[in-house]
Amino acid sequence: MATDYVDAGQAIDNSSLSGIVGSAPPVTDGVTYERILNARSEPQNWLTYYGAYDGQRYSPLDQITKENVKQLTPAWVFQCGSVGLHSGKSTYSFEASPLVVDGIMYVSGWDGWVWALDARTGNILWQYRTASAFDVSLCCGNVNRGVAVAEGKVFVTTLAAHVIALDAETGKKIWDTTYGDVRAGESATVAPLVVKDMVIVGSSGGEFGNRGHLEAFNRETGERVWRTYMVPKPGEPGSDTWPDDGEAWQRGGGNCWVTSTFDPELNLLYVGTGNPCPDFDGDVRKGDNLHTDSGVAVDVDSGEIKAHFQYTPHDVWDYDSTMEHILFDLDGQKLAAHFDKNGFLYILDRTTMDPVRVAPFVDRIDWGEVDEKGNVTPKVFPDKEGDPVHFWPGPAGAKEWTHACYNPNTELLYAPVQDVGATATRRRREFKESIPYWGAGVGVDLDDMAGSISAFDPRTGEERWRWRNDIPMCASVLTTGGGLVFAGEPTGEYNALDASTGDHLWQFQCGSGHHSSPCSYSIDGRQYIAVPTGWGAWTEGFLPGMLGAGQGSALFAFALPE
Amino acid sequence: MSDTAVDVSTLDKQNGVTLGRILGRGTVGHAEEGPDGKMHGTIRIPEDELVYEPGILIMPHAGVLELELINDDKNTHCAVLPSNGDYKFIWLVNHSKGKATLELDGPGYYWYGSRSGNDEGRGLTAAIVVSGDAPPEARIDRPPQPRP
Repeated sequence: MATDYVDAGQAIDNSSLSGIVGSAPPVTDGVTYERILNARSEPQNWLTYYGAYDGQRYSPLDQITKENVKQLTPAWVFQCGSVGLHSGKSTYSFEASPLVVDGIMYVSGWDGWVWALDARTGNILWQYRTASAFDVSLCCGNVNRGVAVAEGKVFVTTLAAHVIALDAETGKKIWDTTYGDVRAGESATVAPLVVKDMVIVGSSGGEFGNRGHLEAFNRETGERVWRTYMVPKPGEPGSDTWPDDGEAWQRGGGNCWVTSTFDPELNLLYVGTGNPCPDFDGDVRKGDNLHTDSGVAVDVDSGEIKAHFQYTPHDVWDYDSTMEHILFDLDGQKLAAHFDKNGFLYILDRTTMDPVRVAPFVDRIDWGEVDEKGNVTPKVFPDKEGDPVHFWPGPAGAKEWTHACYNPNTELLYAPVQDVGATATRRRREFKESIPYWGAGVGVDLDDMAGSISAFDPRTGEERWRWRNDIPMCASVLTTGGGLVFAGEPTGEYNALDASTGDHLWQFQCGSGHHSSPCSYSIDGRQYIAVPTGWGAWTEGFLPGMLGAGQGSALFAFALPE
Repeated sequence: MSDTAVDVSTLDKQNGVTLGRILGRGTVGHAEEGPDGKMHGTIRIPEDELVYEPGILIMPHAGVLELELINDDKNTHCAVLPSNGDYKFIWLVNHSKGKATLELDGPGYYWYGSRSGNDEGRGLTAAIVVSGDAPPEARIDRPPQPRP
């Protein structure tokens, strides 16, 4: 006997079955390019990825001081779990830098999440989630490093290499542009950067043999303005650094998966580029392999490469140079500071990208020698097929992508340092699109490792102080007008250090390791330190000794008691 | 729709070798594209099998999928479905019928499931496959490359 079906209706948004408000105040409407240019003049906000275009990760806020920081306590905690099977289930990590505009926080999570939070209470105002295919190629984990905001929109990249614009009031999608090819192993993890009327993003997928690119999209329409490949085609500048009779350039790497810094006077973006491919087998790509492992100055209007400096020519150690270039002026010089995976701190003249000075920033470096002008002499590297070679730093680098900072009051740079080696055994393989293209078997050391937060004088390159840790430090650091440096540990502790001396002043156990970029903001005069926590990502590559640590996912906002 | 079954009889049933039915089994179906560009498909939960059928639904390309969900079981289940913006949730009491509108990027595949009890472990986890390629303007400027 036939029975009528019960009408189950239409499927509803999962978040409608929660306490989420569903809308946020229109605080980003007035966030113009001019305001972002002068972001540091409104220290209550954190308007762009690094806090300001210069990448200093410095907050002028000074309510939290060396004297009172010991009273710092969580004001609120935000958490989000997961539902069902999602991509990169074992590699998700909370790596973003929160942005804050007039009391509203915008932050991205793993697996396509974007949230607008009340930055005073941590309550969710709206959320958006891009559905990510389970089989998307994730080079280095299910992660996202943050959003950009401007004039009513929130911009974020997705694992499937899209850049999307959301309505900042409702979280609803406005436009969606694909800028990478998931069938080629491309993905996207970078936090976008708004410059003028554009959104700047770059490619991820450095282990899949693609051809890295930086590109700009119109922030109103999502239409592409320019795309610049970091590996030249035959005949283009730099192509003579690749074999002229081969296909190596087609799979050369040089991805741009970390947010650029920007000098508005020079009109230049400073982008770091990733490793060449295959990572460890240099014989199939003889030459310097420009513009991999480089700091590249790009005209923001045209995308034209104006200058570059290559930190590790013909890299066979997986020494990406994607990490930030911190822009600052000192003694009348326009400088850029860059801590490279290869273990050396480079102070560059950012008008030419020529090195001013070069200095080591980690204890153990044996892969090669670098002179004061940045000239490289390789010493230890995987050379013969099947022959294991151990070297320091390992492919995690002496500093990972996580960011250093610069305090204009102390005139010091602060870096999270990783002192860990690795063994690579060259194993040649043919290239196949979408399959990892390393050219070696690699094992990162499980012990005999150390880490530190280290302070450096950019005038000399000398280390001024060091706060040592038993395991590598691999979270971005933050420095403030209160004379502090904040630094998270892989084991979950969050620390405040004296920016002048490195003295340890405060600690809080967040329950899961740090691999993100904290920020500072204030509401009605109360200063907060916000830090996402949640261990994970490419742990087997940068710190396998902590591979078994709990993943977690939470965002803590710390403040002094009211 | 195709009704090609995976012939692993002892794994492809409830309370056989396993307690539930191992994931990734069942039949393969195809969503069909309508004149409006939206794709359409039907998913059923048959009696006492604790699965969605087809176990794999293939979309011809990325875009909007209009899905009809029918619970022919004598127990209540649900579905938490992937879609850009938010998961879509539908409660499916026994002998009920409902709809879901999903927006999915492609190519790639997505799992969805029932969050009731351990429905998703027992077999109420199924996949939506999105066919196609990234748009030409998004692809890398290089000659065609060898693939696996």
